[in-house]
Amino acid sequence: MTVVPSTRIYEGTRIPPRVPTILDVDPHKHDLGDILRVNFGPNHPSTHGVLRLIVDLDGEAIAGIEAVIGYLHTGFEKTMEEKSWWKSVTYPARIDYLGFHANELEYVLAIEKLLGIDVPRRATWARMALAELNRIHSHLVWLGTAALELGAISMFWYAFDDRDAVLDLFELAGGTRFHTRYVQAGGLAEDLPPGFTDEVRKFCAAMPKSVDEYEAILDKQKIWLERTKGIGLLSAEDALALGQSGPVLRASGVDWDLRKNMPYLAYDEVDFDVPVYANGDVYDRYKVHMDEMRESVRIVLQCCDQLDEMDGEPWIADDRKVVLPPRHELHTSMESLIYHFKIVTEGYRVPEGEVYVVIESPRGEAGCYLVSDGGARPWRVKFRAPSFAALQATATVVQGALIADMVAVAASLDFIMGDTDR
Amino acid sequence: MSIVSSRYDIARFGMERFSSSPRQADLLIVSGRVTHKMAPAIRQVYDQMLEPKWVIAMGACASSGGMFNNYTILQGVDKILPVDIHVPGCPPRPEALIEGIVRLHEKIRAGIPPAYEIRGVAE
Amino acid sequence: MSNARLRLAFEAVPGVVETREAYAETTLVVDPARLVEACTHLRDEEGFNLLSDIAATDYFGWGEPGVAGYIGTAAGRDLHEPGSQGLAQVPTPKPKRFSVSYHLLRVGDDPARVRVQVWLDEGEAVATLVPVWPAADWFEREAWDMVGVRFEGHPNLVRILMPDDWEGHPLRKDYPLGGEPVRFSGED
Repeated sequence: MTVVPSTRIYEGTRIPPRVPTILDVDPHKHDLGDILRVNFGPNHPSTHGVLRLIVDLDGEAIAGIEAVIGYLHTGFEKTMEEKSWWKSVTYPARIDYLGFHANELEYVLAIEKLLGIDVPRRATWARMALAELNRIHSHLVWLGTAALELGAISMFWYAFDDRDAVLDLFELAGGTRFHTRYVQAGGLAEDLPPGFTDEVRKFCAAMPKSVDEYEAILDKQKIWLERTKGIGLLSAEDALALGQSGPVLRASGVDWDLRKNMPYLAYDEVDFDVPVYANGDVYDRYKVHMDEMRESVRIVLQCCDQLDEMDGEPWIADDRKVVLPPRHELHTSMESLIYHFKIVTEGYRVPEGEVYVVIESPRGEAGCYLVSDGGARPWRVKFRAPSFAALQATATVVQGALIADMVAVAASLDFIMGDTDR
Repeated sequence: MSIVSSRYDIARFGMERFSSSPRQADLLIVSGRVTHKMAPAIRQVYDQMLEPKWVIAMGACASSGGMFNNYTILQGVDKILPVDIHVPGCPPRPEALIEGIVRLHEKIRAGIPPAYEIRGVAE
Repeated sequence: MSNARLRLAFEAVPGVVETREAYAETTLVVDPARLVEACTHLRDEEGFNLLSDIAATDYFGWGEPGVAGYIGTAAGRDLHEPGSQGLAQVPTPKPKRFSVSYHLLRVGDDPARVRVQVWLDEGEAVATLVPVWPAADWFEREAWDMVGVRFEGHPNLVRILMPDDWEGHPLRKDYPLGGEPVRFSGED
């Protein structure tokens, strides 16, 4: 793993000394009487959701900043404590509503780890394919909205057109565009429809050309370069100290991707590269997102080849205590009927224990800390939200920026308020 | 957001202009869950809009609290705002939202006054 | 790193009261008074440079029979009634009411994860880890807001997710879920 030394980006640390997440105004500036406190309220077109930024301005330069969150706190964790294991799978998808598959996946992986059941490989590869499609979807929305805020309005339409194509694939597999609730403890809720891999291949044939088109529009565009190069610097040491992960960490020169370094699902059996850039600015984060889309297409194509070979294999585990038996069995087997009844009414039970499962969501390290008391409902579910950590870096990355740059910097951190507030 | 994209395209209905300022907006679409912390901010935005103004509650969470019945989610934005159209779904498909907007157009053409004239907020 | 080497490394961590291994994860239960020492050792000597998560859990009511859930009759249901699907046993008792779990990650050539856990009673506080990993700032604020665990020395321990004037700590087990009773059309 390579780490670019911090002197390449800036000397020392820029984490504010008093409170790491609040940039305080230099008291000397207060005496000069030039500070204007502006509220970028929760309702603002450019703050990607209900984020409130209290910004102290010295002219156009940002002298102080504090991020206030909690406007979308939905109480997922407490609500899930009251639902049975099977029913609570509908909730995690809505936490990070763009990377919905990643959240469902981490929760279900945690349940499966506690249960100790084996997931059939068809389900594992299908989950991987959907996770990568989800990554493409999330990055496309990020690209569309970030470019929109910086003024490249047409990118919004291009990116969303491709995004609709990805959501069509999710609809084909899971029945609905997003929040599919397609993963289930033990595998997938239903088999992939026939012809799914053909549709995915058609999409993957067109996607790299789209990414090339987006890069042709933005990569060398003078205004884009001026608004993103050298803005929002974050050194590798500061990024690690602030708990950053995902594209933000990789753009700061740290070669770290859970899919490669601590593989889960079947990521150690596919061939892909991890883009790492060394400048730690908004432009590099943009480049990481673009390259990741290409790598995801590579992974999805490999998954499609494997899924075609596994056609006809089971898509969910055989453990009747956890997974509903196939319907045709209910007519002939008494045990199946009892299992079905038990699972539908009481729900299955998960052995006592605690696990922490982390995956690489489109935003970075997303984890689920699950505590079970052996009962039919979770005792404690805690989601590690990568956006929560990303917003902690606001006070550090925005130093030296002007008010117009703040929008670019905030967009580059790629946070989702549902994920931040849970 | 997808309704603005080229596939679903609400520009066909003349609705593509997203106003950043409530003072220049006619329609407020509340999409997604509303927390008790956010409710005063939304009410303030609604109050800043000039009459006539309409509200669409988009999604199950905005209409009724949806799957979240807990200490933090407002059980329906119609507790603080008079809502004209509720669009169900979690999440609602773009077609559903377009249907909601089209029905709002039909309501307006039929002469039905905006919600604040005929009803207040839920109890 | 093989499990044996990792275990030996963890023996050198100061303040460890107990080490648990389960599901391929290591949990180091640490004396709350020596938490900063243990975490500084893990960061500097063992290279755990990323604080992944801080999770506070309330174990009030753990293992008590008769915990009713929404699955059951109006009178409630005893989840520990024998004869239900498997696992009809009471879970192992916990030492104190609250646990705070710090999930650490080693980003480097030898990736590893570890969980550092402290146990606290109502009213007990634990030292803040902000000087060790600045990422602890908001995680500790969230633990304070949701569960009510105090972190001594935290520079800004105020509510983060709930409104500033909220009373109570929502994720505690004696705090109700809240919400409204659902009304159905056709009934008055």
